[in-house]
Amino acid sequence: MTFHSLIENALTDTLGPTLAGFRPELALCATIVVLLLSRMLMPRWKEGPFWITAAGAVAALWLAAPWSQLSGGMKTAESIFTGMLLHDTFSVYLRCLLFFFLLLFVLFTRSSGIPRDTHATEFFVLILGAILGMCLMVSANHILIVFLGIEMASVPSYVLAGMLRHERRGAEAALKYAIYGAGTAGIMLYGISLLAGALGSVHLPTMAAAVVDMFAHDQASSRYLVLILGGLMLMIGLGFKLSAVPFHFWAPDVFEGATAEVAGFLSIASKAAALGLLVRLVVVFGYTPNADDMVHLEPIRQYMTLMIAAAAAVTCTFGNLAAYGQTNMKRLLAYSTIAHAGYLMMPVAALSALIGTDLTAARAAAGSMLFYVAVYMFMNLGAFAVVAYVRNRSGSEEIDALSGLIRTSTGLAVCLAVVLFSLVGLPPLAGFAAKFAAFASVYQAGLVLLLVVGLANTVLSLFYYLRVVKVMMLGEPSRYRPAVIIPLASSAGMVCLLCTVPLLVWGVWWNGLYTWADAAASLLCK
Amino acid sequence: MNLLFEPVGLAHYLVVGAILFVTGVVCMATKRNAVGILMGIELVLNGANMNFIAFATPGLRADEGLSLGLDGHMVALFVIVLAAAEAAVGLAIVLSFYYNHLTVDVDEAEELKG
Amino acid sequence: MDLTTALPVLLATAWLLPLGSFALIVLFGPWMGRRGVGAGYLATGAIVVSFVLSLIALLGWLSHHPIADAGHHAAETVEHGHEAAASHAAPAEALKPVAGDWYALGRFGSLAITIGYYIDSLTLVMFTMVTLVASCIHFYSFGYMHEELGIVTDPLVRKANGRLLKRKGRFHRFYQYLSLFCFSMLGLVISGNVAMVFIFWELVGICSYLLIGFYIERKSASNAANKAFIVNRVGDFGMLIGLMVLWSTLGTFSFGGIFEQVRPADAGHELIVPDGMVHAAAADEIEQITLTAATPEEANQAIETATPGWRNAGYGQWLLIIAGLGIFCGCVGKSAQFPLHVWLPDAMEGPTPVSALIHAATMVAAGVYLVGRFYPVFTPEVLLVIAYVGCITLFMAATIAITATDIKRVLAYSTVSQLGYMMLSLGVGGWLAGLFHLITHAFFKSLLFLGSGSVIHACHTNEMPEMGGLRKKMPWTAYTMLTGCLAISGAGIPLLWGLSGFHSKDSILAQLFSFRIQNSVHGNILFWAAAGGAAITACYMFRLWYLTFAGKPRNEHVAQHAHESPAAMVAPLVILAVMAAIAGWKVPFTNVGVDTLIGQSRPVGTELGVGANTAVAVMPAERLSHEKPIHNTVSWIAFFTALAGFLVATVFYGVRRLDPDDVRKTFGPVYTFLCRKWYFDELYQLIFIRPVMVISRAVAAIDKHGLDWLADNSARFVKWISRLDEWIDRLLVDGLVNQIARQTHRLGLALRAVQTGNIRQYVMAIAFCTVTLFVVITLYWSYIMAAGS
Repeated sequence: MTFHSLIENALTDTLGPTLAGFRPELALCATIVVLLLSRMLMPRWKEGPFWITAAGAVAALWLAAPWSQLSGGMKTAESIFTGMLLHDTFSVYLRCLLFFFLLLFVLFTRSSGIPRDTHATEFFVLILGAILGMCLMVSANHILIVFLGIEMASVPSYVLAGMLRHERRGAEAALKYAIYGAGTAGIMLYGISLLAGALGSVHLPTMAAAVVDMFAHDQASSRYLVLILGGLMLMIGLGFKLSAVPFHFWAPDVFEGATAEVAGFLSIASKAAALGLLVRLVVVFGYTPNADDMVHLEPIRQYMTLMIAAAAAVTCTFGNLAAYGQTNMKRLLAYSTIAHAGYLMMPVAALSALIGTDLTAARAAAGSMLFYVAVYMFMNLGAFAVVAYVRNRSGSEEIDALSGLIRTSTGLAVCLAVVLFSLVGLPPLAGFAAKFAAFASVYQAGLVLLLVVGLANTVLSLFYYLRVVKVMMLGEPSRYRPAVIIPLASSAGMVCLLCTVPLLVWGVWWNGLYTWADAAASLLCK
Repeated sequence: MNLLFEPVGLAHYLVVGAILFVTGVVCMATKRNAVGILMGIELVLNGANMNFIAFATPGLRADEGLSLGLDGHMVALFVIVLAAAEAAVGLAIVLSFYYNHLTVDVDEAEELKG
Repeated sequence: MDLTTALPVLLATAWLLPLGSFALIVLFGPWMGRRGVGAGYLATGAIVVSFVLSLIALLGWLSHHPIADAGHHAAETVEHGHEAAASHAAPAEALKPVAGDWYALGRFGSLAITIGYYIDSLTLVMFTMVTLVASCIHFYSFGYMHEELGIVTDPLVRKANGRLLKRKGRFHRFYQYLSLFCFSMLGLVISGNVAMVFIFWELVGICSYLLIGFYIERKSASNAANKAFIVNRVGDFGMLIGLMVLWSTLGTFSFGGIFEQVRPADAGHELIVPDGMVHAAAADEIEQITLTAATPEEANQAIETATPGWRNAGYGQWLLIIAGLGIFCGCVGKSAQFPLHVWLPDAMEGPTPVSALIHAATMVAAGVYLVGRFYPVFTPEVLLVIAYVGCITLFMAATIAITATDIKRVLAYSTVSQLGYMMLSLGVGGWLAGLFHLITHAFFKSLLFLGSGSVIHACHTNEMPEMGGLRKKMPWTAYTMLTGCLAISGAGIPLLWGLSGFHSKDSILAQLFSFRIQNSVHGNILFWAAAGGAAITACYMFRLWYLTFAGKPRNEHVAQHAHESPAAMVAPLVILAVMAAIAGWKVPFTNVGVDTLIGQSRPVGTELGVGANTAVAVMPAERLSHEKPIHNTVSWIAFFTALAGFLVATVFYGVRRLDPDDVRKTFGPVYTFLCRKWYFDELYQLIFIRPVMVISRAVAAIDKHGLDWLADNSARFVKWISRLDEWIDRLLVDGLVNQIARQTHRLGLALRAVQTGNIRQYVMAIAFCTVTLFVVITLYWSYIMAAGS
């Protein structure tokens, strides 16, 4: 092979499938550039950042084309950038989710008045950068991309946590987030270095093959310890992004200290991306096309199943319990987010358990997770949106500020109630459908204990969500705070509706979304 | 195995990396000065980097098939860049913390809890 | 049951009873009776039973080992006593100590750490003395510590807001510590090997520390506790060195094993450098032999033949000396000998019963006891060091006692001084005299302390210048204390009869006199210092008595409030006064007395004195001191010195013919020097204490919280049980759902506490969780792999 042909190959590869699969990310990159340029060239255009970001989100969404890709348009997964990324329906689905979330988020921030115009460019650039990192996370096929993706998603988040509130709590939140995040990232990187060194590769499938090889020839006994340590450290990095117990400590503090908008962003986008990455790792290390080799991966699968199931159970329970007794709405939602991270990890545990026995059921498990993530996005965004709007009027983020909301702004209160009931998982809301699908896959995987924990937690969580609803419905509006009057027929009300209506719709008719989620999982394990 | 009397090999580099890593973690967990903590983070990242470079160098290990080659160097380069970015962001955050609290003592960050 | 099986059982029961009481009080103390008063009953009951058991054991011993008849003994004293060797050098076979092991803690190679016993008459006498004094003090404390039953207002501690500190009473805590102390002290006495001695040695130290710091809120008390603990550590360091030398060269910890090697039977029980030490010192030569020899057997043969030569050449001699000095070093610390005597006066910060029990009668005497126990190991050089240390201590402490005004401090310095007497006596070969004085001193000094406690209880002050004229108000206290003063001064009719101190002090001085005959230089210094000390002793004791009880009240307010103490406090005073009077006597018409009883345990090989063939010093055989010329001379010297001291005190303080203030002015510098306690504290402050105090503060904090932790957690455990009970109750009554909701809510609130908000703790949590998970997973992984394969 000559140098010329090498270049030739790289060029065709890049210009052909690679760039085609990478177009949405490129659109985001272009949006960032345009944003920065607009700040320079048209500093007086106050609406600029908002419109440009929205346009970028729409463009990315359009380029990702989920309607064609997820309805049978994509038959095989292809690895692009010489195997660094994996372009398949799974990544398409999650990236589209992120882009759609970005669009909603832009609308939400626009109506909630944060960021203020002076900061809008920086804010959206950071948001776009973080989304870019998350896109890398969900398509990662290379250990460097895993790390880069996590860091690209995290570093802008650190700044976001502190940039919009020039006061003590924002700075404290940012500091804690940065230190905690950088610490876990460092530990993860060290783990990655151990894994890469022990397995002799940084390409995930190659690493998996090395593991198979190792188990097949049982030559690895001296390397088990290194593998365990490395795997654990990698999991810690992921656990941080997922806010899984016991690596959740940053979440409540950061959510409380940051604005509701940023908290919403962190609770949704980060989670989705981290879950995508988790599924990727589970599939890569738990599955190999060769049926003979599958046997050798059994210990790995058991290990992953146990780890994820235990983390899910503990995280879920801890989050729900700690949410009791919170007085700050954002903090309560932070713990609720932690609990939901636990729920979301349950189908992944099921996936890991099923992958060795029943591939169809395994894909269904992954599909239920993807479905849950989409529903979760609407639920959480709705909740944080209401918190932000109420804050704008009353200046408080305490639960008390919601007192008597039903009298002053009925629509908003009903929206929040729907969102909260959906978070609990009551029928006929989408939250119920999502939980049902997730628990069904857990049941199918035979993880009965996990199922019991999950169901018990659903009951547990009822109490604190209901408390909020009770305050809203039965409480008296405070006389010391400005009344919260937000009609539904305002931009704020519209955003709330936008988040709530899908919950009602999918609650009774979830097939549409579920088909896409199923299609997204269909190319896994192939 | 006596590291002191062996010719320098993979293990030696890994030991240095591990020492850097542990030092960094201890530094992060014990320093009250936020800048000190950032230094600890640098140490941790550099400990990992040391590993990558060692794993990437073919001559160092007996089973040369397992050496990472250029991949390892590439990872290390990216990590260096990332560490710089992280340090920049970290210092900016520390500065903002300083403006609000007039100290860089992280134990002063105690409003958010519960 | 024969003696060898009965004695260990009896004494073990007597020894473990206080431990049981301690354990029960730790667990249930606060709930025992009204405000924990039951703890006192329990502890007292335990120690009284211990006393009875000890007494039974002692009588049992006596019935098996009767003491040579009185006539014989009388002949010894009246005639020239040469044939009296029979009573002192009784057949070794008959009086073999009852030794053995109860329990082996562990074995490290050739070294076995065991809980063993070594019982001879000395052990039994000590046991009886300790349990008797402790019983008295347990009773006494019911009166003295009565306040601790309620809420205590500490008049000496002011809180930051200027109010007096109010705290809960710690009655049960006090008895808990007392029980632990009794257990430790008895364990120390019964120990069959040096390792065990060391363990209990430390335990009594800890108890002393806890009890000195009983009023932990008072800064002076916690400082004093720290001081006592740290100063003792200095001594213990030396002791550890001594123990290590003994073990590494002799390979055993047990008393019997050590004594056999140091004074082997085939050398006629003469002190020789044991083989182990010779070999350790001659390591180079042994290596040479091993290298050149053809077979190991041959090498061993060669080494064996060469050993006597090495021994004669002085190999290993210094090891023996270091071992002896090391052991003695520990005793210096515990028995508050110069230069480590500084802690004892400060230890008076503890409650007075504690001062009486620990810092007068028992624990501080443990150092003397150990020197007595280890007597066979000490070379003449070491003995001479012991003698000089004792001599310096006794003289120095006595002089300081003259100027002290705090009643307890006078007694504390007196204790130091008397301990110096005992050491001195042991050092010049007066083994029996020293230990005899230990026993008599325990009685009269605890009497004096309890008396002073009664006074303090009545007057609420320690300062003697505030007192005076209390004789009328509290006659029982006054006259029992007078008995104590007479006993410690050695009052009696020369040559015939006297209080307990008379007998023991006379025998010490007689031994010194006999020593003086053999060693002119050392002898003169030591003898006259001791005789002078005796005069000073009488002087300061009667000064104390006159200032406190005689004359007119100097402070009307104090005198008005003074009253006789309750019966619980007076009764022990009377018992101890009787003991202080009669402890030196023989049982009528027999030769049975404390001294002859202890004499049965005299270490084999020391009957004829030590160091007869060395140039250092000759410690003459003790029986020589009973010879009439010596005995008579010494009796008169002792009588007149004590009388002189008494007269001086009377002139100054009794009839007030001379004004002590005049003397004070005349001898200003000397007075200041004595008042400042020879500037020892200042010296140590400069050299040691300042750096050490930093550490000691940390120790105090840990200890305070540590013990509370133990107590609190056991309490919490009980509470938890009751809460569980309550929980089940409610579950049945209130219904399941309600309760679950409430408990989860509570759990949720508890979980909030995890979120401390401190970033460093978060990072620490990451590291901690990583390590924990790694360990768990590794274990689990090996389990999977094992199951798979």
